[in-house]
Amino acid sequence: MSEFYKERIYPLLFMFITTVVCIVLTAGAHILTFDLAKANELSFTRRAILNAAGLSYENTTLGIEEVYLASVTEEEGYYTAIVDGKTRYIIPLIGPGLWGTIEIMAGLEEDLTTFSGVAIVNQSETPGLGGRIEEPWFTAQFAGKQGPFTLVEEGTAAQAHEVDGITGASRTSEYFKNLTDRAASEARRIIQGV
Amino acid sequence: MAKSKLLKTFTEPLGKNNPVFVQILGICSTLAVTNKVQNTMVMVLGVTFATALSAWTVSLLRKLIPSRIRMMVETMIIAAYVILVDIILKAYYPEMWKQLGPYVGLIITNCIVMGRVEAFALTNKPLPSLVDGLASGLGYAYVLLLISVVRELMGSGSLWGYRILGSWWTNWAIMIMPPGGFFILAIAIWMIRETVGKEVSHA
Repeated sequence: MSEFYKERIYPLLFMFITTVVCIVLTAGAHILTFDLAKANELSFTRRAILNAAGLSYENTTLGIEEVYLASVTEEEGYYTAIVDGKTRYIIPLIGPGLWGTIEIMAGLEEDLTTFSGVAIVNQSETPGLGGRIEEPWFTAQFAGKQGPFTLVEEGTAAQAHEVDGITGASRTSEYFKNLTDRAASEARRIIQGV
Repeated sequence: MAKSKLLKTFTEPLGKNNPVFVQILGICSTLAVTNKVQNTMVMVLGVTFATALSAWTVSLLRKLIPSRIRMMVETMIIAAYVILVDIILKAYYPEMWKQLGPYVGLIITNCIVMGRVEAFALTNKPLPSLVDGLASGLGYAYVLLLISVVRELMGSGSLWGYRILGSWWTNWAIMIMPPGGFFILAIAIWMIRETVGKEVSHA
């Protein structure tokens, strides 16, 4: 009996107790920080919307919230922002990347073709290569331009429809370009229903 | 006596029993995260934290853990600590968590954590185990940081995200990719063993 206990029951009991303790600890930490994590996520989305609209803000949760609440209106499937007396439309877009999906906010001027800005909400491209689409210089290139875009070698974009691709990340650049090319037609579909 | 032994426990993983360039452990993460100094920093802090605390916890329980299921128990403890790191980053350092999301979870499978728990914590008292885990983490940390400095500088011309080299510098894309990690790691191991670590190369 004692042999049976030592060899079979005790290991089982021990594992069971360890599991319960670990779950209680991690689940507890998760529940305790849940609101904070949720607020962070919301703040990231709002920051992307502000970036796409070309609004400036103080980069803190409070700073983002203040500007967001003051100038952004949430509509069905898109957002609008008043910038310098003009309305800008921010369209959420989602599409494939090299490894996972890329989620962006595309900001468009009233004509629904000229970009006011592009901002990334989520991406899982190769860090250091495709991940560089998060770098400010890359997304900033789209502002003031009209698609569809042509990708050129990094550092050589000169024409109005050209954007620099990322060296070593041609596929990610291509996916990103395709996503931005969809912005104008998607905007017309959502906002004007055509 | 006890104090000098503790000191030895601390200094060994930093030098002649270094987890990376002597034991060649934790190589997968060495290749994956060392292309940016910032990513590397978070990774090594996470690994150091996880190694030290899991070693301490396992050592506390070492007389209670049934030996046939010890690996399951160890993994469970390590995973719990790593998930805590992930949750804390997500809540308090969201910016960093966003960049490192997938890497944090990878700490669970870092061989150094499991290696120190198995090789040291199971047979030693809690305090030495904590010291050993901490020192192994630090020994891993400085080698990785060294590699990441070289890789980020050559691959992106920057350090900690700030551009250091001028526009004349052409980025070496290979330094950013995992093969670049192989090259730099191998060169680093070779240089360290040839210079300061000659007597340990057959360890």
